[in-house]
Amino acid sequence: MRHLGTLLLVALAMLPLASPAAAAENLVVQVATEPPGLDLTATPASATAAVVFYNVQEALVKVDRHGKLVPWLAERWNTSDNKNYTFFLKRGVRFHNGREMKAADVKFVIDRAMNPETKHPAPANYAAIGDIIVKDDYTITFTLKTTTANFLLNMARQGSVIYPREAVDTLKSEPIGTGPYKLGEWVRGDRIVLVKNSDYHVKGLPKLDRVTYRFIPDPNAALAALKAGDVDAAMFGLGPEHIPDLQKDARFQVIVGETTNDVIMSMNNSKKPFNDVRVRRAVTYGINKGDVVKGAMFGLGRVIGTNVDPLNPYFVDMSGAMPYDPAKAKKLLAEAGYPHGFEAVLRVAPQYYYTVRTGEVLADQLSKIGVKIKIEQIEWGQWLSRVWKDADYDLTIIGHAEAWDIANYANPKYYFRYDSAEFQKLFQESEITVDDKARRELYVKMQKKLVEDAPVVWLYIHPRLAVTKKGLQGLWKDLPAPAFDLSEVSWAK
Amino acid sequence: MRRYIARRVAAFVATLFFVSGLVFVVVRVLPGDPALVIIGPEGSPEAAARLREALGLNRPILVQYTEWLARALRGDLGVSLQYDVPVGRLILSRLPVTLPLTVMAAVLMAVTALPLGLYAARRHRRAGDYLAMVVSQIGIAIPGFWAGLLLILLFSVHLGWVQSGGFAGWSNGLWPGVRSLLLPAIALGFFQMAVLVRATRSSVLDVLREDYVRTARAKGVSELSVIAKHTLRNALIPIVTVAGLQLGQLMAGAIILESVFALPGLGRLALGAITARDLPVVQGVTLFVASTIVLINFAVDLLYLVLDPRIRYE
Repeated sequence: MRHLGTLLLVALAMLPLASPAAAAENLVVQVATEPPGLDLTATPASATAAVVFYNVQEALVKVDRHGKLVPWLAERWNTSDNKNYTFFLKRGVRFHNGREMKAADVKFVIDRAMNPETKHPAPANYAAIGDIIVKDDYTITFTLKTTTANFLLNMARQGSVIYPREAVDTLKSEPIGTGPYKLGEWVRGDRIVLVKNSDYHVKGLPKLDRVTYRFIPDPNAALAALKAGDVDAAMFGLGPEHIPDLQKDARFQVIVGETTNDVIMSMNNSKKPFNDVRVRRAVTYGINKGDVVKGAMFGLGRVIGTNVDPLNPYFVDMSGAMPYDPAKAKKLLAEAGYPHGFEAVLRVAPQYYYTVRTGEVLADQLSKIGVKIKIEQIEWGQWLSRVWKDADYDLTIIGHAEAWDIANYANPKYYFRYDSAEFQKLFQESEITVDDKARRELYVKMQKKLVEDAPVVWLYIHPRLAVTKKGLQGLWKDLPAPAFDLSEVSWAK
Repeated sequence: MRRYIARRVAAFVATLFFVSGLVFVVVRVLPGDPALVIIGPEGSPEAAARLREALGLNRPILVQYTEWLARALRGDLGVSLQYDVPVGRLILSRLPVTLPLTVMAAVLMAVTALPLGLYAARRHRRAGDYLAMVVSQIGIAIPGFWAGLLLILLFSVHLGWVQSGGFAGWSNGLWPGVRSLLLPAIALGFFQMAVLVRATRSSVLDVLREDYVRTARAKGVSELSVIAKHTLRNALIPIVTVAGLQLGQLMAGAIILESVFALPGLGRLALGAITARDLPVVQGVTLFVASTIVLINFAVDLLYLVLDPRIRYE
């Protein structure tokens, strides 16, 4: 062994030193998952959005780093009746193929999204649109069948990105858009390279010449790559356990921010004993969320009490609404006919590390009120089929990363199987209420109703954990949209 | 011999047929739906159902298999659901990583295991033997992925000699490519080396006890000649058998190490395809690996003829 080791050491000592750090205008980013195709109008996967959304393709409206809707490819819009919206397109915006973006492109893109034949993943976002009229090359009017409060937000979603019609057949492998970066190459299984779009419609941006996304699924390998200097930033994939150590390391800066990813434990509302609201409340009272965040997330993550996340303008802090109270939990269980508790299976997919860890802490906590939990780990594909699609489960844990996803609670077929006519009515009203104050009131009512009915246990917001080399600036701290906007990112001179 | 080869070819075709049918059924019977994985929980089950229909996954399994087989016989393995690229092209694009990785690991295994096993046998029950056995025991006890992480920690993070993962490609010259495969090849080869050391040692020990070795020594034949001519060649058949099986295992080990070292090889392609339920890719890679293993076994059988002229295949 000693000789073998010596030989290896000698052989490796002859290697030249690793190449020096990349030039200042380049950025190498680690991401955990390779996108399942690059077409934002075909897959809502966050791995696709992380590369393409805001960087390669953009929409008429944008959710900015503070979560505000701002005009983007449309320089402004107006509406007199909240039913007819006229967008005035920014002039001189060019697609990566050199052609100028015109109103006809916008019509083509939204018509295609509305067409069920095209398999858009979220056609419901466009269901209210009646007519789309191109007034001239830079003016387009959308006429809605019904008032839709989220219409502008829907125009800002990843499925509403504007691309040239001639590129529609190659979106999956060679997306073309108006973004600050063009697709350079996609080496399947290894990396995606984006290169600067020198013709970008925002002057002075982007600041980087080249961005390489490297797919490193293993968190330990990602940490090693960061420490060895092979990647400049780990955007997603490092666990909270890596953070304390990296915060002390002078070579790195750690960004801990908010996201829209609410981690919940869902209870199957259609199945005994969780069809009884007293049982669901008991489970909620039996959970000490602060300890869950400490035990499963190294204290990183904000405790929440309802669905709406802190980056949403209608967020209300409900984290204290149903505080940890095991005595009350036991009383509620006894009232519901389970004085000695019951047994339940918790199905989690270990592809998302936090689900298993959170489950272990919850199982321990709930055993104290007599709820005995058996944790069953299943693979992601199975989780999607059995839990998400068929609601074949008692309990499960997952993070819901989508912003503005309160609609899920108004859908009795969704895997929560939560069916409340009162909540559904409130939600329908909120969808057609445009006045901000009135809508906020409806959102408060909805959140209170959710707390009362406890269809799921809202545990915590999964924090945004990004680690970069010192000197990288311009990254978003919080992630109000499912995008890693790199347009303003640069190296400090 | 001709009949033997014809028999082997027929067995080869039958194996591939069997494997393809089995994989086809297994990946479709498993819970999990490629359309659901592509759409994900951010989409809706209705959107997934539409995609499923469009991908032709609602048709009966037998119809799907017959269609796939008819195309596969013409050399068309279908198109990846995830990448939208022909499966054949995808497999070919991964070979420049997995093939050299496996070959480097195999060479490493052979050049360390044979001398070490021989040395241990010659020093039977002496310090050298025990030391070699301890090394081999360590090799068997350390899983490849952990060895990989330890190597990254030492050579990439602390010493900074090689990159921690990723593949530099062959277009920049031979050395950058070899350098990015060096650590994974060591991690991959170490375990198999440990197994082969044990096989070599026991096989050589058996031969050393043979009468003809004693006779050769009694005749005054030099020790070098005793080992090289009389012992090694006779000991090689069991060693080659084990090594042949290990080549297959190296390909399986590559799946894990390609993930640890973030290498765009065949193993990671297979793993990603299984997770994403990318059925045409799972099918294509399995067939490719099965063919390779059958061919390796065939090559091992032919090697027996060279090693031992007494062996005849009729």
